[in-house]
Amino acid sequence: MPNLRELLKDEPKKHVLLLGNEAIVRGILETGIGMVTTYPGTPASEIGDTVSEIAKEAGLYMEYSTNEMVAVEVAAGAANVGVRALTAMKHVGLNVAADAVMTLAYVGVKGGYVIVTADDPECYSSQNEQDNRYYALLSNLPCLEPSDPQEAKDMTKTAIEISEKLELPVLLRTTTRVNHTRGPVTFAKLAKPNLKGQLVRDVKRMVMVPAHARLMHAKLLEKVEKAKGISESSPHNIVTRKGKNQMGLISSSSAYNYAVEAVELLGLDVSILKLGMTHPLPEKMIGQFLRVHKQIVIIEELEPYLETQIKAVAKDYAPNVEVFGKTDKQYFSRKGELSTRLVAAGLAEITGKKLPIDFGKIDEAYAEIANELPSRPPILCAGCSHRASFFVIKKVGGEKTNYPTDIGCYALGIAPPLNVGDLLICMGSGVSAAQGISRATGQPTIAIIGDSTFFHAALPGLVNAVYNDAKITLAVLDNSTTAMTGHQPHPGTGFRGMGTPAEKISIEKVAEGCGVKYVKVVNPFQIKEAGAILKEALQHSGPSVVIFRAPCTLLSVREKRRKGIRTLSYKILDKCTNCTACIKLLGCPALIVENGKVLIDEALCTACGLCASVCPYNAIERGSDQE
Amino acid sequence: MKEFNIVLAGVGGQGTILAAEILGVAAVKDGLNVRVSEIHGMAQRGGAVTSNVRIGKNVSSPTVMEGQADVLLGFEPLETLRSMKFASDKTLVIMSEEKIPPTELAAKNITYPNMKEIIAKIHRFTKDVIIVETEKLANEAGSTLTRNIVLLGGLSATEKVPIKTESVLEALKELVPAKHVEINVKAFKLGYDFVKKKA
Repeated sequence: MPNLRELLKDEPKKHVLLLGNEAIVRGILETGIGMVTTYPGTPASEIGDTVSEIAKEAGLYMEYSTNEMVAVEVAAGAANVGVRALTAMKHVGLNVAADAVMTLAYVGVKGGYVIVTADDPECYSSQNEQDNRYYALLSNLPCLEPSDPQEAKDMTKTAIEISEKLELPVLLRTTTRVNHTRGPVTFAKLAKPNLKGQLVRDVKRMVMVPAHARLMHAKLLEKVEKAKGISESSPHNIVTRKGKNQMGLISSSSAYNYAVEAVELLGLDVSILKLGMTHPLPEKMIGQFLRVHKQIVIIEELEPYLETQIKAVAKDYAPNVEVFGKTDKQYFSRKGELSTRLVAAGLAEITGKKLPIDFGKIDEAYAEIANELPSRPPILCAGCSHRASFFVIKKVGGEKTNYPTDIGCYALGIAPPLNVGDLLICMGSGVSAAQGISRATGQPTIAIIGDSTFFHAALPGLVNAVYNDAKITLAVLDNSTTAMTGHQPHPGTGFRGMGTPAEKISIEKVAEGCGVKYVKVVNPFQIKEAGAILKEALQHSGPSVVIFRAPCTLLSVREKRRKGIRTLSYKILDKCTNCTACIKLLGCPALIVENGKVLIDEALCTACGLCASVCPYNAIERGSDQE
Repeated sequence: MKEFNIVLAGVGGQGTILAAEILGVAAVKDGLNVRVSEIHGMAQRGGAVTSNVRIGKNVSSPTVMEGQADVLLGFEPLETLRSMKFASDKTLVIMSEEKIPPTELAAKNITYPNMKEIIAKIHRFTKDVIIVETEKLANEAGSTLTRNIVLLGGLSATEKVPIKTESVLEALKELVPAKHVEINVKAFKLGYDFVKKKA
């Protein structure tokens, strides 16, 4: 969006290009949602970030909550006193929030409440590729699946309507290719957000003690029955293409786009049933579709969520229909994302049609050049303070120390030459897993965590370490922002989601408050001092915390640029022996080799000076000031 | 109109996402149906990135299939090469010659492959290659950060893309920060003229 303020314009029928996530925000504004809560996570981050930009002007409340569970609970409170609310998170965020979501389904809501869960097929920026449609089945919550930005906007509104009709939260399940696709979107009218609620006491509905929970479970199942009716007549469940062939396709979400194009590519004359509301499924509608076809192909990304349910429907409605998908013979993969090519290949195999494009030949030609291509994996930026921290950690800890790590930019510490990171599961797992590793190995163990993740998920683990006297060191790599997802604020940054200043919550004080006896803050770029402190921390008898504090270099460079301060690149002196120690120790992208000579790429160098402090010949020096 | 596919390939931080968005906004201005897709990946800077722009009435998938790019806009030579899977003998490649060496090369003490080698490999797929002096022209415009816009100007000059040059310029003015509009427009024009002269 050229200017995010354009989203606030009440210009119905206006046609603009929006990112899927921006379209969801327009949906928020067209629905009068009064509260938005989130914890950033790719591919959902721009929902919160966009709301953050415009919340004040739009008259709604937004916050970056400390984690997804808190985000859901805050919004659930508002929705239970009648305010429309939305919470956005990445797919694994719903694992964190699940405890709240499962029982909130019993309690229900008064104001409409939407939970956006952004799945990441292909793990473009995630630790797994779980299919969150199963959360709809597990929790009994209705689920909508948009396939493009227009639908992402429209379904945000539909989700609120369904939520209020059923008094139940609704899941809006997207995938990376919906969140991060830009497409034309037509605006509808804006609605005034309402942030005023009133608690109407209803203990039986709202206080989930066993006696009430039993009642509310029955109520929830009644709501699911009602939801089935909504799904049967939903405009989002629709036959989008009618063919003469006896084959019918059923698809949803991003996979639907590939299905449409694959059908065109192969010239198939088939019908397509597009499912936008995928929990509960419109069984009667699907049953009718199965009855008029002899063969059904189910095209969906990740797990056979639709397929297993549709096979059950087939038993009742059309026992002889043949179903193709990914359960028996795998025509489509259960892993990774789909594409028009993959869907077309599956359809070609099923129908016996020949693909009009010889992909094999294209792959072959590409393989010839691809084999020799140097890889370019994600890396820590030039000047990143984490590089300095990892250098210190590795120097002190060496090979005999274990390094459970965590979710954030610092997960990139596993790349050579730093090679720090031994176990990574989920947000906050490092500090706790470290305790198991340390007890079982008896070896020194340094858990790595970032500042935002510290507030998100480290506190119970840290308290556990103190109370059970685990011999671990927690290295908090504090760059004072949530860097990986786009520099969102967190409780340690001093400002809030709506831009207002806040009192910073000090990580060192929190650690001390948890009972940690050894807590020190170091500057990672002062490698000698930082190393000495870390050594001392490792020798401490109980758990210790060392905070490596230096701001994210992207932010400090941006700040300097804004102030008109020129950053002078470091330079390599003539006495350089080209031993490449700097490169071998640090792997900074600003250090390059040309014809055997080590050079510094001035465009990338942020003048952090780390290379100068590790050079064994003192052959790297700060550039001289010529201004 | 048949569909028209553009693949933009570069390194995180080079502005491929902005360039793709400009093309998308311009396409909507021209009343075209368009999908722009981008992968943000794990790193803020330095990783390989591609964006796709697909234009056409029946386009619904946001991603370009292998061998189906009409234009490949290469922001970095090795990344241009890495995206050749999207190219065929009908693809026009417009690329920058400005190298960003992957850290793997430095670690192995290997020099970045020379342009001749890279071009020879690209020629195995298509002979239609235009190399733009992005860095020189961007500096001439007033900021090296406008290299992506130089390339966009070059793309418009080929008249191969079904988007009006004025629309691209208009979208550009809307999408870059107000105080940088002037140098970006200059960068666009320098890229445009460079390719016009070459053609």
